[in-house]
Amino acid sequence: MKAMLNLRRQITDYVAKIMATLATLFGLFWLVWILWTTVSKGLPALKWSLFTQMTPPPGSDGGLLNAFVGSFIMSGLAVLIATPIGIAAGTYLAEYARNTRLGETIRFVNDILLSAPSIIIGLFVYELMVRQMGHFSGIAGAVALSFIVLPVVVRTTDEMLQLVPSSMRESALALGVPQWKVVRQVLYRASLAGIVTGVLLAFARISGETAPLLFTALNNQYWTTSLGEPMANVPVVIFQYAMSPYEFWHALAWAGAFVVTMLVLVLGLVSRALLLRKKVTV
Amino acid sequence: MINDPISIFTTVAGDDTSSEKVMGPAKMIARNLNFHYGNFQALKNINLDLPEKSVTALIGPSGCGKSTLLRIFNRIYAIYPKQQATGEVLLNGENVIAPSYSINRLRSKIGMVFQKPVPFPMTIYDNVAYAIRHYEKLSRKDMDSRVEQALRDAALWDEVKDKLNHSALNFSGGQQQRLCIARAIALKPEVLLLDEPTSALDPIATAKIEQLIEDLKEKYTVLIVTHNMQQAARVSDYTGFIFQGELVEFGNTDDIFTNPVKQHTSDYITGRFG
Repeated sequence: MKAMLNLRRQITDYVAKIMATLATLFGLFWLVWILWTTVSKGLPALKWSLFTQMTPPPGSDGGLLNAFVGSFIMSGLAVLIATPIGIAAGTYLAEYARNTRLGETIRFVNDILLSAPSIIIGLFVYELMVRQMGHFSGIAGAVALSFIVLPVVVRTTDEMLQLVPSSMRESALALGVPQWKVVRQVLYRASLAGIVTGVLLAFARISGETAPLLFTALNNQYWTTSLGEPMANVPVVIFQYAMSPYEFWHALAWAGAFVVTMLVLVLGLVSRALLLRKKVTV
Repeated sequence: MINDPISIFTTVAGDDTSSEKVMGPAKMIARNLNFHYGNFQALKNINLDLPEKSVTALIGPSGCGKSTLLRIFNRIYAIYPKQQATGEVLLNGENVIAPSYSINRLRSKIGMVFQKPVPFPMTIYDNVAYAIRHYEKLSRKDMDSRVEQALRDAALWDEVKDKLNHSALNFSGGQQQRLCIARAIALKPEVLLLDEPTSALDPIATAKIEQLIEDLKEKYTVLIVTHNMQQAARVSDYTGFIFQGELVEFGNTDDIFTNPVKQHTSDYITGRFG
């Protein structure tokens, strides 16, 4: 009887293990396929002119320089706008409104914003800025992207500060140092790696966002660094070129996709390394 | 002052034990002290005198309120909104739990060390200098000597003098706890509160801290909470036994451990409960 029960448990364990492994492999399979396609089609299309020439009109040679620069400007600006606000809001949630109803409500709303479809954010900023200004612009694109960065930074700051043991908070406050100083000088230091990781991951996330830019920055075939004009960006160029009938545009789209994927991969690795180092020291 | 009805049945400490013993002048005095966590009353009408430049230990079973009492003395409880103390805690004659008494001032006079050592994520030097910088503008040289003095007083100087710029997080638990003591005494407080300071440490580190507590009472009035009765017997001059939120008995440590007046105290000390 006991042996039977034991056997049954072993079989259940075995089956569960196989199912879990298969599910993992299923997930990994698609990921590897996507990565493989990106690498095999993107790598051959990669050449130096990609980073030195502008996006070409149909039928002529070119690169993606203006798109890379535009993406970099808009993503960078979005991070610059959203990071201070996000850190301040996350600090409020973790340090000043931890167990309050207001804090819980804000946290809930922030989670909704976190999972809002990015096309909605694009439309929102279209109404908010593009319609008012009368034309598409780089600044509208940056604002749309910042709405995606914001909830990520709020969430990570909140979580990372909550991970700091309350004994550290108490020992700093017990020295008579006021709360704002404790937050700035002790708690931020203890949670810095985590907060930076959140910002990096948010940057990685927006570097591939297409929908919010489609309604805001649109695209620009020419070189511009002016935030008042429509601005070229990698995701929309990929979208446009991939849809086109020209072979050469296809190749550029693959190359652009490859570069963005590698960037996201590197950012992921860097943030992992940061978190790992944090675990060792704190 | 709020006198809870329950306190009528409470034995007021000191009444029948301290009369014939010689105690130093009181540094801190708790009078009719009550404490609530929300609706739960954790301390009932506590009256306690902490003799100056001596070590007073608070003992009692888990949850009896001894840490709660300690946490009132520097008002660290006040960072949690639902915790409330009523009554008086006098330091040099002033009621420190009155809202008019500046928290900043209070905490510079009353240092605190916690159960688990929590060095700040900075260098050894900065850990000690951190709070000093908040209160005083010192020259580099003066700051160096203040830091050195605090580390010497905490019996840590010889171990860290060549590593002042190393992260404090790379040291052993015992060293980290002595660093926390150095951090607290760097402000030159008058009273030092120790909340089970050795419960996370191994026996050797514990012995060092206990030796250190002996030395500290030359300069400071020390109040230590411990769940370890042997420790209370070893390090303290006076002992208070707390049970279910009441100070059951208070007196000379030798008397409490050899000749307790109350049955409860005797039962606890002989290990019949707790």
